[in-house]
Amino acid sequence: MRIIETRGLEKVYGSSNNAVHALRGVDLNIESGEFVALIGPSGSGKSTLMSILGCLDVPTGGTYALDGRQVEGLTGADLAAIRNEKIGFIFQQYNLLPKATILRNVELPMLYAGVPRRERRERALDLLARVGIPDKAGVLPGQLSGGQRQRVAIARALANRPALLLADEPTGALDTKTGEEVLALFRELHAQGNTVVLVTHDPGIAARAERRVELRDGLLLRDWKEEAA
Amino acid sequence: MNASGAFRERLFESWIELRANPGRSFLQALGVMLGVASVLGGFSISDSQRQQAERLFARLGGIDKLNVLPADTVYQGTPSALRSANLGLRLEDAVEGGNMASAKAVDGTSVVKQARARVRSEFADQERDVNGIGADYIPLNGYEIEQGRGFSAHELATGAPVAVLGAEAAGVFFPTGEILGKPLRIGDVPVTVIGVFEEKSFHFQEGQQNVFAWRNKIVAVPSRLIAARMEGDAYNRVDRVTFRIPNLEAMADFSRELTSLVGANHRLQQDFRLDDVYKRQERQRSQGDVYNIIFMLSGVLALIGGGMVNVNIQLASLKERVREVGVKMAIGATGGEIFKTFMTEALLLTLLGSAAGYAVGIAFSWVITRSIGVPLSIAPMSFLWATLLALVFGFLFALYPAAKASRQSPMEALRYE
Repeated sequence: MRIIETRGLEKVYGSSNNAVHALRGVDLNIESGEFVALIGPSGSGKSTLMSILGCLDVPTGGTYALDGRQVEGLTGADLAAIRNEKIGFIFQQYNLLPKATILRNVELPMLYAGVPRRERRERALDLLARVGIPDKAGVLPGQLSGGQRQRVAIARALANRPALLLADEPTGALDTKTGEEVLALFRELHAQGNTVVLVTHDPGIAARAERRVELRDGLLLRDWKEEAA
Repeated sequence: MNASGAFRERLFESWIELRANPGRSFLQALGVMLGVASVLGGFSISDSQRQQAERLFARLGGIDKLNVLPADTVYQGTPSALRSANLGLRLEDAVEGGNMASAKAVDGTSVVKQARARVRSEFADQERDVNGIGADYIPLNGYEIEQGRGFSAHELATGAPVAVLGAEAAGVFFPTGEILGKPLRIGDVPVTVIGVFEEKSFHFQEGQQNVFAWRNKIVAVPSRLIAARMEGDAYNRVDRVTFRIPNLEAMADFSRELTSLVGANHRLQQDFRLDDVYKRQERQRSQGDVYNIIFMLSGVLALIGGGMVNVNIQLASLKERVREVGVKMAIGATGGEIFKTFMTEALLLTLLGSAAGYAVGIAFSWVITRSIGVPLSIAPMSFLWATLLALVFGFLFALYPAAKASRQSPMEALRYE
């Protein structure tokens, strides 16, 4: 089953005079259960591509189907619903809500999806156990270490059983050892059948993925498979 | 999820936000608090005054009364022959008025005839106002008998030589306390005391004089006694006729018919006037309403001032919260959801500010009413008005920041540093 299918994806920022072409026609297919690393130097367009794949932004040209659904031309509310149901985001800076408890942070996507209270709570506690921090439900994000916060972010991303996990430099703010642990968690999630797209500029981290897609100047430069390191 | 569940979650979310920023929330609630306190305080002060006035009227025997009073018949110096030939207001006017078709609505009638006379007992000798009373005067004017009895219908009809005294008069003329059945001389007429009125007192403000003092000085006799034995008036002229009409809607019909009846009796001379106590009260009340509008306006101004402060604080805090909004959008919050969350926060702030405003407003009006010595009373409607105004303005001023927050692009909000 195909999770991502883009055809001639383009993104132009700014007006016609000083337009910046961030994407110049990207064709990309990602199948269900793949672990893909999206690599490229800064300015290559990988952040733009990740925003469009994550339905945070819309392309200015080309088509994009996520989990069988065409995304272009959808309204803001529809895109929000797609982000809620089909995509789990993991950011470099964790992006947890600082004033809400860990439990509530994990519950929030389910809240927007309308999951009943009791089920929400059970699933959130279950997810926290799954990412290895079962005893932190009641604390605030500020009381956790970076690695623990990223685990919370992963639990939150998994909350609505998304079709796609999108991680943007998930280890960028972590030390090597903690970064390794988080990457191991991604491997584990992949092994359980989740589709993971990991955006990074670090070839060492990209090497953990079975498939690598390299972007350069808004175009796909290379797309190859290799045994994960 | 059902709507109430979603609202509860948003309320909880707002509570987290407010609790995390106590300083900011306090400033935001301050404007609401001042507005609510000012509306509530103003209302309750004018309410307390009004309540006090209503208490006074209740003690005077109610406000559902129509008075007929003699009017000055002399214009520019000389009365016309017709006017001087007139007899003025008579007991007959009261009796005929009570027999009219529209008099069904009349619940009681009273007449008063006043005189000034030397009043003597074995203990005292004073010049006093003497009230000749008739019909239902005692209940209609809020008097109660404390000792003895009032006048019987027979005594009133025949003008029997009997008297009922107010508490002060009783004390002056019979300091020993033995009073019932004792003789009293009013002018040249010997009368027997048959009763004493209960002492009346009413203070508009604590420490001020008793506005009912004159009622305790009353020396009451049947009006016919004054007419027949003291003034030799064969026409039974009276100084005031009062009709009690509990059904205020019937008042207009009755006054119209009464005006034409008394006018006909008085050869079409306007030597009397009608005084509708209820309408007079209404006019005073509408003056009170003007004050209420002023108080409401000052409350509204406080709410507008507070609201503008709120908009500024919200917009400034929005900068801190852009990223948070971006995160919420990334995990699936729609613009509408963000909007509702901000509005719920405004609602919660308004309610908390209102609650604080109740406390401040009550304390404020307690201090004021206390200092002018009037018992505090707050109508439930005042709370409703104050809260309603606070909600309206809280809502209006929350709209712009909430709309601004909800229209952000999730991607830009996420990248905001």
